[in-house]
Amino acid sequence: MEVWLQLLVNGISIGAVYALFALGYTLVFSVLGVINFAHGAVFTCGAYFTYIFLGGVVGSNGLLATQKLPVTFPLAIALVLAGLTAAMVGLLVETVAFKPLRRRGAEPLLYLITSLGAGVIIVNLIQLLMGAEAYALPSNILGSMPAVLALGHGIQIRTVQLLLLLVGGVTMLILNIWLNQSLGGKALQAVAEDTTTARLLGINSGAMIQLAFAIASFLAGLSGGLVALSVNIGGPYFGISYGLKGLGVLVLGGLGSVPGAMLGGLIIGITEAFVPAKLSAYKDAVAFAFLFLVLIIRPQGLFGKPPIEKV
Amino acid sequence: MFDISLFVLMLLGALLALAVYLPLRAGQLSLATPGFYTIGGTVAALLSTTVPELGGNEQTYPLTSVFLELMLAIPLVALLAFLIGKPVLKLKGIYLAIATIALVEILRVVLLSSPWFGAAVGIFAIPQPFEGPEGYAAAFAVLLGITAWGCQRLETEPLGREMAAIRNDELAARCMGVNSERVKLIAFVLSAIIAAAAGVLAAHFFNSWSARQASFDASITTLAFVVLGGSRTWLGPVIGGLVLTALPELLRPIGDLRLIVFGLVILLGPIFIPQGLIQQKRS
Repeated sequence: MEVWLQLLVNGISIGAVYALFALGYTLVFSVLGVINFAHGAVFTCGAYFTYIFLGGVVGSNGLLATQKLPVTFPLAIALVLAGLTAAMVGLLVETVAFKPLRRRGAEPLLYLITSLGAGVIIVNLIQLLMGAEAYALPSNILGSMPAVLALGHGIQIRTVQLLLLLVGGVTMLILNIWLNQSLGGKALQAVAEDTTTARLLGINSGAMIQLAFAIASFLAGLSGGLVALSVNIGGPYFGISYGLKGLGVLVLGGLGSVPGAMLGGLIIGITEAFVPAKLSAYKDAVAFAFLFLVLIIRPQGLFGKPPIEKV
Repeated sequence: MFDISLFVLMLLGALLALAVYLPLRAGQLSLATPGFYTIGGTVAALLSTTVPELGGNEQTYPLTSVFLELMLAIPLVALLAFLIGKPVLKLKGIYLAIATIALVEILRVVLLSSPWFGAAVGIFAIPQPFEGPEGYAAAFAVLLGITAWGCQRLETEPLGREMAAIRNDELAARCMGVNSERVKLIAFVLSAIIAAAAGVLAAHFFNSWSARQASFDASITTLAFVVLGGSRTWLGPVIGGLVLTALPELLRPIGDLRLIVFGLVILLGPIFIPQGLIQQKRS
């Protein structure tokens, strides 16, 4: 019973981060109708930025070897700064890889390739600047908080997991309120619904698309930082598997559906947590097998609208 | 100095690009190619390292045994592609792409984790049917020649025209009596066969084989071959595969910057030449 509960909490906390990350894909997809394959690379950026803002020293293999920031930020500020810096990277990706195609109304296939190219460039720039080695965030980031919380009945939960859950949950709540209550959020939804009509109503759709990219990349950067709190940054290719899992979450929930991405993240996180330790090597396969089954049974995902074939 | 091993890799790139191109010709973005490629290679690696009868008495591994491996891998993969294609090809657009990515990931994790397939280290000391890369270059050239010829023929055959019709407008094609489900399935199975055959030869060429061949990166890089080469005619993927496989190697003198330049090419290609290098003649 206790173990069961512990796994559930672990699953929910990593699921919250998956959801946060997948929401970025969702936002971009809902306004542009394409998938941003550079999203995983932006996530990686977020992890590295968090390391730098926490006062980490660059290893010996990159061009920036042994450099560090003159200041060290507390965790909360470092995470926000990492998110903001990632948002700038995202805006740059939009300008270089998406805008020229968007202007021409190019076919969606081309966006896959240009965004992938942007991702390749980002990942290799990180490798060039920071080297290929793994990085671990400093161990004292949690300050006076204990590393493991005992919740009684023998349930032990890493403080980091709770932090993931808390930050993930609060961010999603804020995003939801913003999307549904504010003028900007509604304008974004209008662009997602119908770009042409939105433009006729006086919404600057180009600016909204940039806003979607900025928010999406902020979420990617933040989730990169959060994941880096929980596991080491394994190198510049760190984000690829998360990028894929995020795609899985996106499709599981239904493309372009905000609640779908949240639920999808939780489902994948919890499913993974309950894979027995003996079979842990198959953990990634379980998430994808689940995704595959859902697609076969319900091709539009859990929350997606079934496509209407128009003649 | 022209490196023959690089030439072999270029031919392999062109073959895989054709495997991605075939379903795309019917409008289906399938990223399953590295999966079938890996299965082909795994069949060859397992057979040639565990069945001593295949080895023969000669110093080099007999070509007839390679042929036998092909004859075993191709029907196996064709059957698999048929069984997978049936449900998967009902998915449209990006859903199909992601379902096929999921398949490749499942395959990769299973192969990497199970001891039967050499697990994470892979299968080593795969016997060599040729003494040097020249033999492999010839073998790959023959395979590429047959495949390219087939694809070229397809462009004028009814099947190829049906595929193009589905790509342009599936609903309209169906209204004209095209059995779109059947045509898409044929394209998917043919693509799997090309990938598996390339895998069989590649396993021997690389001398070792592991499921790392089936990565998401590989899926997308081969797709880039097709898009940059041009996805409307058979020549596009061939040129794209040849050029883009050679590019990172030719850029080796600039060291660490080479993958950044490679990324720039992939990024800028679709922006400046959206139709790809080889464009369709307008009639």
